[in-house]
Amino acid sequence: MPNIITLKNINKVYGTTIKTQVLNNINLSFEEGSFNSIIGASGSGKSTLLNIMGTLDNPTDGEVFIDSKRTDTMNKNELADLRNQTIGFIFQFHYLLPEFTCLENVLMPYQIQSSKLTKDHINRAEELLDLVGLSNVKNNLATNMSGGQQQRTAIARALMNNPKIVLADEPTGNLDSESTENIYQLMRDINKKFNTTFIIITHDKGIAEKADRIVEIIDGKVKMEMELGS
Amino acid sequence: MRLPFQIAVRFLKSSKGQTGLIVLGIAVGVSVQIFIGSLIQGLQDSIIYKTTGTSPQINISSTSDDKLLPNYNDIVDKISRLDRRIINLSVTSDGPVLLIKDTNNYSVLVRGMELEKSNKIYNIKNRMYEGKLPKNDYEAIIGKELQEELDAKIGDTLQIIKNSGEVSQLTITGFFNLNVAALNKTWVITTLQTSQKLFSTGDKVTGIEMQVTELFKADEIANRVSSKIPSDLKVENWKAQNEELLSGLNGQSVSSIMIQIFVLIAVALAIASVLAIAVLQKSKQIGILKAMGIIDRTASLILLFQGLLLGIMGSILGVLLGLLLSYIFSKFALTPDGQPIVPLKIEYGFIALSALIALASSTVAAVIPARRSSKLNPIEVIRNA
Repeated sequence: MPNIITLKNINKVYGTTIKTQVLNNINLSFEEGSFNSIIGASGSGKSTLLNIMGTLDNPTDGEVFIDSKRTDTMNKNELADLRNQTIGFIFQFHYLLPEFTCLENVLMPYQIQSSKLTKDHINRAEELLDLVGLSNVKNNLATNMSGGQQQRTAIARALMNNPKIVLADEPTGNLDSESTENIYQLMRDINKKFNTTFIIITHDKGIAEKADRIVEIIDGKVKMEMELGS
Repeated sequence: MRLPFQIAVRFLKSSKGQTGLIVLGIAVGVSVQIFIGSLIQGLQDSIIYKTTGTSPQINISSTSDDKLLPNYNDIVDKISRLDRRIINLSVTSDGPVLLIKDTNNYSVLVRGMELEKSNKIYNIKNRMYEGKLPKNDYEAIIGKELQEELDAKIGDTLQIIKNSGEVSQLTITGFFNLNVAALNKTWVITTLQTSQKLFSTGDKVTGIEMQVTELFKADEIANRVSSKIPSDLKVENWKAQNEELLSGLNGQSVSSIMIQIFVLIAVALAIASVLAIAVLQKSKQIGILKAMGIIDRTASLILLFQGLLLGIMGSILGVLLGLLLSYIFSKFALTPDGQPIVPLKIEYGFIALSALIALASSTVAAVIPARRSSKLNPIEVIRNA
């Protein structure tokens, strides 16, 4: 499988007077269709790494390739378009738009690229909600759902534009163990079904170990890479 | 365009209290503007009407030595066909006389009028509080102050001495009150024929008077009239005769506009500050939308639409509130005889303009918050979760 994300010599330094090197010469690539986890202590730089892969943050230096396109030289509008088409995000605090219903939240990534909403797309959103088991609450406002439901909505939303990559930052960080297991299983199913590349930051050892590959970041460096049999 | 609009609508709906407050704020601003504007306009119109409404707005007099206009019928005819805006055309024959009562002399002006026509200008009929209009020769009516001075009653005879020294008598048939003491004291109104006989002017008059439908075009109309009649006739209009009044009214208009501008600025500032807070409140949502790929322009459109929508709602409510306020004012702020203290002038053009200006300023007020929304970096939102 070709690499969907490649990072070359990535450095990230915060601050101007007091410089903090968060990432130190990271070289990393991820295969298309793979299921990866990133582990590391708080402040190790793993979130920064994920944000750089998601083009939300810029590296201080180094090169980022996503779907064989170099992104660290793109302008803001090109990046917005790339994120919309290629990357789905799942954040720890689910970040749904509380003003919109579950279904509307799922449709949002599609509506960003095209304001014409067709029956096909509504059907797709409903299928995704079916997949994550939320058909019965699809018209609830985001605030009227449980944490697990909101997180599953966020997963459905991340998949709406059929992205090649899903980046998840502690997607189960604030969920109970049963929900965690469900969500993990769901992501794994999607990974298999759509050949979507998953890169998941997690504290949860159980989840990390179920990935194809574990990357451990310590003090801004790749400490350990482990391929696990899948 | 549809997505930022939808999001703007949802954002406004989600914080109904805040939206309601700012809409109310805009509405109060707009209604104050409409009310003050209508009040000042009504006030000015009523002042102008009171000064000029019951007097000729354009006068024609002669500059010849005898101050007489021969062939006035031709001139009147010509003027009446000149401009549709000229109304209530009539002629007068005036002359000064000395009025004698016991040992006292009063200098008065005999005004011979075509009473039916002049009534349209001076509204004399309705302003007579006793008696009736003179009909026969040598009958006249006098004003309230003169009546009090002379202690006159209907049927009394007035002794008058003309410049020539000749003495004549006029019979009083009634009393008028023009609400201007100077006129009430000095005018002796009689028929045109009486005046012409009194001063032996034959078939000549001393003045032609008229009103116009467009009060503020009186000077322009007067110029047209002037160009069509013999050059030895003098044409005067109320605007030239009331420059002081006009400049006073002008000052009032300027201060009214100043008040309206400051109200508008206050409204715009309120909108800008509320929207600035809205950007902060919604920064999480804007950040996540940006992470999902909305471009900066769309992010700023959300805020602009919020400003626009607030402006629309505020303007509509403001217009309703302004009309309500005006209605209440005209119903409850009354003079003792039941008339509104100031008759408000409701001009739909002005109301539409106020609403439009409020709308435009709400949108402009949204520009700064919109730029903040545009500049918001999603990573800040995500990092500081």
